[in-house]
Amino acid sequence: QEEIDLTVASSHPVVIPWVGMIKSVFMAETDRILAEKGNYKINWNEAFGGSLYKANATLSSVQEGITDIGWVFSFLEGARLPLSQVSTYTPFSTANPPVQLEVIWDLLENNEVFRNEWEQYNIKVLGLTDTDDYDLYTKKPIESIADLEGMKISAPGVLGQWLRGTGANAVDGSLTSFYTDIQTGVSDGVLSLALGVLPSKLYEVAPYITRVNIGTAFSGAIAINKDTWDGLPEEVQQAMIEAGKTYTDTHAQDMIDLHEAAFAKMIEMGEDQNPPVTMTELPAAERQKWVDGLPDIAGEWAADVEARGLPGKAFMKAYMEGLRNAGEKPARDWDKDL
Amino acid sequence: MTGVEIGIAAIAVLLLLIIFGMPIGVAMMASSFGAVVFIRNEKVATSMLGSVANDSLEEYLYAIVPLFVLMGLLVTVSGVGKDTFDLFERLLRRVRAGLGIATVFANAVFASITGISVASASVFSRIAVPEMTRHGYTKSFSTGVVAGSSVLGMLIPPSLLMVVYAVLAEQSVGRMFLSGIGPGLLLSALFAATILLTAWLRPASVFVKEDGHDAGEPLAFLGFLRKGAPILILVTVVLGGLYGGFLNPTEAGAMGALGALLIALARRSLTLKSFWSLLLEAGQITVSVLFLIVAATFFSRMLAMSGLPMALAGFLIDGSLGPWGFMIAFIALVIVMGCFIDSISIMLILLPIALPVAEAANFDLIWFGVMTVVAVEIGLLTPPFGLSVYTIKSSIDDPALKVGDIFRGSFPFVVAMVVCLVVLSIFPWITTWLARL
Amino acid sequence: MQSEGDKTVAGQGVPPETGGPARYWNRGVDGLAALGTVMILFLMAIIVADVAARNAMGASLPLIAELGALTVVIIVFLQLGAAVRNDRLARTDFLLAAISVRWPRFAALIRGVWDLVGALLCIGIAWSSWDIFGRDLEHREFIGVIGVLTLPTAPFRAFIFLGAAVAAIQFLLMAAMYLRAAITPGDRRP
Ligand code: NA
Ligand code: NA
Repeated sequence: QEEIDLTVASSHPVVIPWVGMIKSVFMAETDRILAEKGNYKINWNEAFGGSLYKANATLSSVQEGITDIGWVFSFLEGARLPLSQVSTYTPFSTANPPVQLEVIWDLLENNEVFRNEWEQYNIKVLGLTDTDDYDLYTKKPIESIADLEGMKISAPGVLGQWLRGTGANAVDGSLTSFYTDIQTGVSDGVLSLALGVLPSKLYEVAPYITRVNIGTAFSGAIAINKDTWDGLPEEVQQAMIEAGKTYTDTHAQDMIDLHEAAFAKMIEMGEDQNPPVTMTELPAAERQKWVDGLPDIAGEWAADVEARGLPGKAFMKAYMEGLRNAGEKPARDWDKDL
Repeated sequence: MTGVEIGIAAIAVLLLLIIFGMPIGVAMMASSFGAVVFIRNEKVATSMLGSVANDSLEEYLYAIVPLFVLMGLLVTVSGVGKDTFDLFERLLRRVRAGLGIATVFANAVFASITGISVASASVFSRIAVPEMTRHGYTKSFSTGVVAGSSVLGMLIPPSLLMVVYAVLAEQSVGRMFLSGIGPGLLLSALFAATILLTAWLRPASVFVKEDGHDAGEPLAFLGFLRKGAPILILVTVVLGGLYGGFLNPTEAGAMGALGALLIALARRSLTLKSFWSLLLEAGQITVSVLFLIVAATFFSRMLAMSGLPMALAGFLIDGSLGPWGFMIAFIALVIVMGCFIDSISIMLILLPIALPVAEAANFDLIWFGVMTVVAVEIGLLTPPFGLSVYTIKSSIDDPALKVGDIFRGSFPFVVAMVVCLVVLSIFPWITTWLARL
Repeated sequence: MQSEGDKTVAGQGVPPETGGPARYWNRGVDGLAALGTVMILFLMAIIVADVAARNAMGASLPLIAELGALTVVIIVFLQLGAAVRNDRLARTDFLLAAISVRWPRFAALIRGVWDLVGALLCIGIAWSSWDIFGRDLEHREFIGVIGVLTLPTAPFRAFIFLGAAVAAIQFLLMAAMYLRAAITPGDRRP
């Protein structure tokens, strides 16, 4: 039996579900498959939780071999992975992670420009990650878009785009700052993920949950350094490819299940606080008003990508087409006017 | 050699280099670089060096450092620290060793407008030490009091160490700040008791010659107001802004610096030239603090790559230590490392290893953070590398004053801090009740 | 943050460099540090402006957090050269001070070697920061949000490169100074 030393790392801690799953699904599955034949065994050196690099260096750290395997947070790589941002500039299109990742995976396999966007950085993609659904968590109840007028809503970076046209002001920040930001009145609420809100206890300060169903977004990938990859025996490579697929599927389903479980948990935990956590759904007509009121952020994005010499428009079309072919019903056809 | 062995070797080399006087930041980088070359290769080591330099400081929270330093220097030139000290000096003029206790309480109040102990140390070494020497206190005792009470600067909010801990442990910065108030008051009381006890048991170590100390007439109400108002305003801006709903910690730093600047201008304590040299000084302090953070980041990344933290955590969890055994071992390790390494580096090195263990042991992470901060701050006072002590030495600029004297003078306060740790272990609510309100 | 041994003991007998080219070099280093100093005020100003905008108009200014973060990095690297020259990097001096009492030239040798190591590390930082600069330039790396306001990061990287390079040269100058003192025979303490 041959032993292989590999470092696996992430910028985020294992309490984040898809980081935890690198260990509980991807590594475990790789080990399981390899153990069947017993020819190879991997000694994993785990460096999760930003101990090896921070969120702003997830791509370069795998690229340069600082880690062998790592979770690449594509959200924060807007300049180097421009096409991968497509889902953040097409909100209200899908809230179905399994389908979304299937479409992205399909593009990765069949769209040469997109595949090259990742592989040019000396890496091989093994699995994909998605967010859960984005909703509003506020200090005051939201019944219509008009209620958002003049509110200060915390939304990290690019998500501020989704508030354009709603009358709300986007306040930048991060999951670690939201609690105090809301508590101290820096903002009146947050546009965020149930899976982020629950552990950071944001529902304590922003107890009104308004389910908007803004959608999920492609957030990154588990990737392996290409030099490391080329040095691995074929049997190990096959095991990892298979484990990566299992990871993507398990994780995508998990994003749906955990999302609902997180709401249930928040309502339970926030029952006795004053005011208690209450969850409502934004009426369909109001949701449509939000979507229609957004400026053409997809068009702006595509134009910027084209200016970088990449086929932004064609890729946007391919992505939206992929969603529709898979049975999703985007609330706005972002590719219509391109 | 395995990664773990390389990691251990790197720590040994680091200690050796530090003892032989290599700048600590340079030593951390050099030993880390060497270790990464052995674990991987020089290409990876070089790119890690570059990425550490470029991204480890790229964090909005770190903007707190230059801002709080600037604020600290501004309140120094405008005499706010001196006024605070004066107030307590008059209040405590009938008490034996009252000047020492005044220094402690003035530091506690001053702590609520400064985020780094270095600032407290440099301010009070210029204000309190000359005053104490004038009244017949020994140099060792007066500098020791200043060094000891400077640790309050990073326990009472705002605090740079709490910020770093909050980032590492993913706790809210606001809650971490609140958690420092109770322990800060406790430690102030313990320090005051230490001073009284030392003056009573070993007067020779406190006084060269004890004089009937005349701090002037007690202040009238207006005098109180004039001296007390600036610091009250700054405390209101910084802490009030933080908890009243206007500012995040970085912004509190910026508003505090602006407030301090306005106070300095109103009091006409700045010329264009002195303002410029004050800015340069703020810059140089900032560099020396943040360069260490860069280096320590490289060091802890090298450790993560070596697999040593994981091996150690495994050893600590599986071993027969138990939660409190782990806690004692951890605190002891922090104190030992504090002899050689600066506060933030210790936290950056140890917390990635210790936090998972603390979590597994079901410790309250806010309490654990306060314990860590107090233990880490002991290192400010212990030889051979005690940052507060060196700060005092360099700001007093008296060749006759030996670093060793200051270390000796601060030793009673080290003991008081250990007592504080014990009390906090027995009564954890001192740290948590405000933070969990 | 400096300590007893820095100037008074280990550095004893080393004449300050005040010649023609050295003066211009020092001025350049000070100039960079001054720029870094101005950045501290700039940092304060943008954050205060953000607070004001938020409380007066209910909207925060774009880019502040990211710009503030990058500014911190710039402040450090612009001032690094001056910090090296003024010996402001934290170190423990007790052993070096003790050595220098008995064997001043040996202490100077150690100091020189340490500065040489510092120089090598700064060269490494400069080297890879140059790469990062090129990479950011090539990919037009930016901070901010497309559609709102973006700012290229390459100029910031250039400053990091410049700061690291200057610090490397400053370390080399210090090393040369100490090594020269180490090989010059005779007790040169005043
Ligand atoms: Na403080
Ligand atoms: Na120490």
